[in-house]
Amino acid sequence: MNDLYEALEICLKEIEQGADLDTVLSRYPDLANDLRPILDASVNARSMAIPAPAEDVVRRNRARVLQHAAQMRESKVKSSQRIWFASLRRLAVTLVVVAALFISGTNLVRAASSTLPGDNLYPVKRTWEDVLLLFTFNLQQRSALEVEHENERLQELRELFAEGRAAEVDFAGLVTSQSGNQWVVAGVPVLISSNTELRDGPIDVGSAVRVKGQTQSDGTVLAERVRLLPADAKLPTEVEIEAEEHEAEQQQNEDNSGKGSGEDEPKIETTKSPDSKGEDQTFEGAVTAIENEVVIVNGIEMDTSEAEIKGTPGVGTPVKVEGYYDSNGVFIVTKIEYKESGSGSDSGSGSGSETNSGTTNDHSGSGNDGGGHDSTDDSGGGGSNSGSGGGGGGGD
Amino acid sequence: MPAYDERQALDGLQKLDSQAIGAIYDQYFSEVYRYVRYRIDDVVAEDIASDVFVRLLEAVQKKQGPQSSLRGWLIATASHAVNDYLRRKYRRPVEALSDSLPDHSSSVHSEVDAREQNRMVRSAYAQLTSEQQHVLALRFGQGYSLEETAFHLKKNINAVKALQFRALASLQRQIGEVNYE
Repeated sequence: MNDLYEALEICLKEIEQGADLDTVLSRYPDLANDLRPILDASVNARSMAIPAPAEDVVRRNRARVLQHAAQMRESKVKSSQRIWFASLRRLAVTLVVVAALFISGTNLVRAASSTLPGDNLYPVKRTWEDVLLLFTFNLQQRSALEVEHENERLQELRELFAEGRAAEVDFAGLVTSQSGNQWVVAGVPVLISSNTELRDGPIDVGSAVRVKGQTQSDGTVLAERVRLLPADAKLPTEVEIEAEEHEAEQQQNEDNSGKGSGEDEPKIETTKSPDSKGEDQTFEGAVTAIENEVVIVNGIEMDTSEAEIKGTPGVGTPVKVEGYYDSNGVFIVTKIEYKESGSGSDSGSGSGSETNSGTTNDHSGSGNDGGGHDSTDDSGGGGSNSGSGGGGGGGD
Repeated sequence: MPAYDERQALDGLQKLDSQAIGAIYDQYFSEVYRYVRYRIDDVVAEDIASDVFVRLLEAVQKKQGPQSSLRGWLIATASHAVNDYLRRKYRRPVEALSDSLPDHSSSVHSEVDAREQNRMVRSAYAQLTSEQQHVLALRFGQGYSLEETAFHLKKNINAVKALQFRALASLQRQIGEVNYE
């Protein structure tokens, strides 16, 4: 077969050069019968060859191709301009927002400071909080500010519940009760549904968590996600929010504390927070860490070396702490009572007991925690305010 | 007129440079056109040939253009474009060959003119496989050597010889059948 292919190739070349078909075939008498039809076909195939295109065909199609190239160039420039313009516009908007923040300064921030989740200016409030944290380099002040912000989240929750508004919220706190799908976190009743995402490990009573969810009209938060926080996470100082369904428990607590009762809306009570040094303070919360004689409760380091200890110490255990801030801003525990896990939830507990109540002050009270640590200033409230207020002033 | 420099033309092509595109077009359009027209005897061949250059522009922008041989890329793309066109065309009913053929009974002694002969050959050629059409277009339409044809077909020379032989045999058989009809 190879001979046939070779012979065909030679014949094709000779015919192409002008040789006669019969002459060519005469050189391959054995293959002539096979080659003839093939060579006839090659003549036919060659007869189909097309001459070069006419000048107008070339010109017309050249114009078409070049026009297409021009359109592509144009759209390429436009798309790169679009990218530039989009980047420029983003930059301009950012600059305008930043300029607005710094020019309108306190007015805008002040206007935003009283907003609640779902309000138009609420993102400004949260952004401003982040900005403050960003520019707070002192670790203790920063820690105090974080606690203050966490308290603010609970304050917002109280206001949302009071107004019966549904809004997306997130807040941190200790799990003080887990009863089926009804938990209590930082005193806030939280509903766990099948859609709730429980993240980063098993969550038990005493766990520090961050809850993201939606406030409900019944004074609860329907959790969308509950995330376990590390032991050293900054948590709000205790605030209790009781929903209607917890009214009975509230009643009992109120009886103990002697506070008013009978409010039909979700009951909001605040407790503690040391706001002046030397005075006895009482805390309730859960232990997030124990290191020798230092115990961390609600993110506050406490010296228990001189404390009367009741119950079994343990991380995650709800505790009631009595003590005072010494002149160095260290909280000295005089009495610490470890409760059985899960029992305390209720928070309520204690709370009422002590010291400062008052919803508007707990904000500054939290700040005082920080102030207490790093300052000997007598005016705890002033110290805390200077934390946030100072930031606001910076905006001016 | 400056000599055509393929490397320079390819560089200019990346930037959609008109001069480079014009140079490439001038260099290869005739070749692409003749290939397409050989395979499709229709005015649409002109559009398909220029489409090949439009596809080249688009491929280069997507970084899928030719890396070395522009001619190889253009002929391969022309072949795909023709196959696509023929596939679409043959989905529709094919015209009966006999309609376009002369009445043999009345022209037994008359000579079939060149035009009719060409039509008959084309009808037979259209019956070949696309690979057979491709090899005949390269060898007898473009006048490529065996080596060049092997390069475009990405086959070795012996395989091209065999393919060419089968294609010619098939063409001759089809011509016989057309004649018989």
